[in-house]
Amino acid sequence: MRFELLQPGNFSEALEMKKAYGERARILAGGTDLLVLLKDRKLKAEAVMSLRRIRDLNFIRVEDGKGVRLGALVTHGDAAASPVIQERFPELAEACSQVGAVQMQNMGTVGGNLCNASPAADAAPPLLLMDALLTLASATGERTVPIQDFFLGPRQTVLRADEILKEIFIPEVPGRRGATYLKLGRRQAMEIAIVGVGVAIRLNGSDQQIADCRIAMGSVAPIPLRARRGEQVLRSQTIKDELIEEAAEVAAEEASPISDVRASRGYRLDMIRVLCRRAAREALARAQLKKREGSK
Amino acid sequence: MKIPVTLRVNGESYDLMIAPYRTLLDVLREEIHLTGSKKGCDVGDCGACTVLLDGKPVNACLVVAATADRSEITTIEGLAQDGNLHPLQQAFVKEGAVQCGFCTSGILMSLKALFDRNSSPSVDEIKSAIAGNLCRCTGYTKIFKAVESVIQSS
Repeated sequence: MRFELLQPGNFSEALEMKKAYGERARILAGGTDLLVLLKDRKLKAEAVMSLRRIRDLNFIRVEDGKGVRLGALVTHGDAAASPVIQERFPELAEACSQVGAVQMQNMGTVGGNLCNASPAADAAPPLLLMDALLTLASATGERTVPIQDFFLGPRQTVLRADEILKEIFIPEVPGRRGATYLKLGRRQAMEIAIVGVGVAIRLNGSDQQIADCRIAMGSVAPIPLRARRGEQVLRSQTIKDELIEEAAEVAAEEASPISDVRASRGYRLDMIRVLCRRAAREALARAQLKKREGSK
Repeated sequence: MKIPVTLRVNGESYDLMIAPYRTLLDVLREEIHLTGSKKGCDVGDCGACTVLLDGKPVNACLVVAATADRSEITTIEGLAQDGNLHPLQQAFVKEGAVQCGFCTSGILMSLKALFDRNSSPSVDEIKSAIAGNLCRCTGYTKIFKAVESVIQSS
């Protein structure tokens, strides 16, 4: 592992450097993925640009009535411990607290998790549920990309060679929303998800009437993805157990898992159904706990 | 080409000339000669290289040394104060919570970080704190006993 080290002191300097180096420079946020890939020679980089000196990229900010904004350097540990994230988007806190172990959570960032674009990225399904918006910046300007359109394939995203992920914005969801992320591994820590499923449910006035349902899955396709047809089964419906079963069946049909060292395709399909049902029931229970008139 | 880097380790400053790609673990062991942090897997799986970066446990094998120049680094060598072992170290000795010893320094650093913010952690919190530290002698029972004894005596 050899490289030139770039350490910009502010974000505009980083963008200028990225413009000059393009693909020759890889971005180092936490390093928990990048350094492993470089050491294993799965990736080559002439230069590595550390964002560590850029202080204004590490924040979790509530924008009243609009949502929550995360800087690109927010670590999994920061997100998991944030009362704002825990209260409004518990599925993201749950996902971040299940990444690797403490050492990884203290270094690895939510933004880096997305940019590495592993199909198993734990932070991806929760952010897909929330329709998070990613701000990609370059020396010539910024653009906002819905997370839905961010991933192209394993380790491939729409990030251009001159761009750096700057922020993640999570729009506020009004009403009684409950959500959870469930990760299946063979053990509780230091694990890459065999299957990860997140479900978010928003209730209408009644405890039994679903206004909206969202399902997102990881490790089941080349990219983390929403199960749009599965969601449709539950959306605008009165809750019935058979509907939850059906939504889980349909979600599994939308997945295209592979067989690898961690699990077979068949096992993954079975586990999508199991996790979908469990996550839907938990999301529902959490939504029902929220006060009927409350907006949070 | 080497670059100048100043690291703060266990309260002392070290002015070094190092290659920009060297990891904190390699620099601690080979330049500063603090060999208590161990190199097991070198890719962040085993936790034997755990040190504290601004009080938080991290894998030193996954930190580019030159990027840690503005942080306070604590290694196992910085755990004892004025010649007295840290209570966790004393408990490990007393309970024999060491078999081959390779994982011990990393486990102690993870536990120190836990105790710094929570002086009476639950068993689950202890397990979660050292989930990233592998002991292949499988000596966990005595490690938990040692930790329990620290909680009880405090």
